[in-house]
Amino acid sequence: MFAHNNDEIDYFKLAVVNSFLIQKHLGINDITVVTDSHSYAFAKEQLGEETINKAISNIVISEKDRDFKRANIRIYKDTSHTAKNLSFYNVNRCDAYDISPYDETILLDVDYLILSDTINQCWGHNNELMMNWKWQDVMYERKFENLDRLNDFGITMYWATVVYFKKTPYVESFFNCVKHVKDNSQFYKDLYKWAGRLYRNDYSFSVAAHTMSGFIDKGVPQLPTTLYKTFDTDDVLCAVNDNTLILYLEKPRSPGDFMLTKWQGVDLHVMNKWAINRISDELLDYVA
Amino acid sequence: MSIRLTKALEFANYRVTLNNQNAALKAKTQNLLSYSINGGTFIIDLPLLTFCKQLIDLSHLDAVLLDSYNNPIKVDLAKFHEEILSRWFEVTNDYYVEYEKLRKARKVHTILDLNEKEE
Repeated sequence: MFAHNNDEIDYFKLAVVNSFLIQKHLGINDITVVTDSHSYAFAKEQLGEETINKAISNIVISEKDRDFKRANIRIYKDTSHTAKNLSFYNVNRCDAYDISPYDETILLDVDYLILSDTINQCWGHNNELMMNWKWQDVMYERKFENLDRLNDFGITMYWATVVYFKKTPYVESFFNCVKHVKDNSQFYKDLYKWAGRLYRNDYSFSVAAHTMSGFIDKGVPQLPTTLYKTFDTDDVLCAVNDNTLILYLEKPRSPGDFMLTKWQGVDLHVMNKWAINRISDELLDYVA
Repeated sequence: MSIRLTKALEFANYRVTLNNQNAALKAKTQNLLSYSINGGTFIIDLPLLTFCKQLIDLSHLDAVLLDSYNNPIKVDLAKFHEEILSRWFEVTNDYYVEYEKLRKARKVHTILDLNEKEE
């Protein structure tokens, strides 16, 4: 996992919570978190070194690229009622291959909460690289067609939220390709016509997947599970136990109005980072 | 707002919640019916179960099956069938119990089983 705090979001705490969830549901203790010295120092102050060491077996310090940090600003929402422009530091995700000390790795976003043992199915798989292009909003009525492709007529969008990879020459080339896209993002933005100025790993991983598959669609296999998502306009009411969340989902035709859903036993990408931070102590009580 | 309209809106809210909860339950079931072995991943469904049983009845000990990525995976049929059948029963029984609970729920808080936390 990669965890670099910004002015408001404590990504490192999310990484600690998710590490405990991983230990609980996947039975894995070999967890590496890549962070920076400031985020780590803040976490030590807030959570204590003992809790951090219990959760994470390997911490890699990678200092921030300040220019990138200042330039890559995105809107973070805490439901439709609150929106803030904050730094989105995601530049070093493409270094995962070099950083990972393991033969097989599952690269996760800290906000992809592990609530089941489904991704354990990846270990020992014949596919050396797997990512999600199948995704599903947990509010089934909502449709976001612009998230299926980089543009309306573009290539399939892969989500870099969960990436399984083995250390092989093919995967090494894949990550080199991701780095190349990141380093030349303006050129690839023009070529693949993705919207906005924000650098997103989803884009560079999608372009690399397209390139490394010999320019065929969906050439990199889908993970054994669909990516289930909530959006930053949604909220989390509470954690009922270590694998169940009660969610507030924004109604499709009624912004700011919510319905409740119980989400149980399926891994979930929670885009509202404040929402996870709000229930993180509850989750820690269940799993730490 | 009239009482009748309030009740209709409450019911609409209940239906939306119920439909979404049903979809969430299906997602959970589908996830659990995915089974990985020997580097391949299979979706446990009726054709897979019956095909394996048929091969066993024809005295095959092992077989190459195409997994959900269409990759050929060699499996020990008896062991594989036993495992997927056991998983199938476990998952569908859970699905049935949860589905029945949902079917009988008439209020949003019962759909969500919100009392569970206090239990």
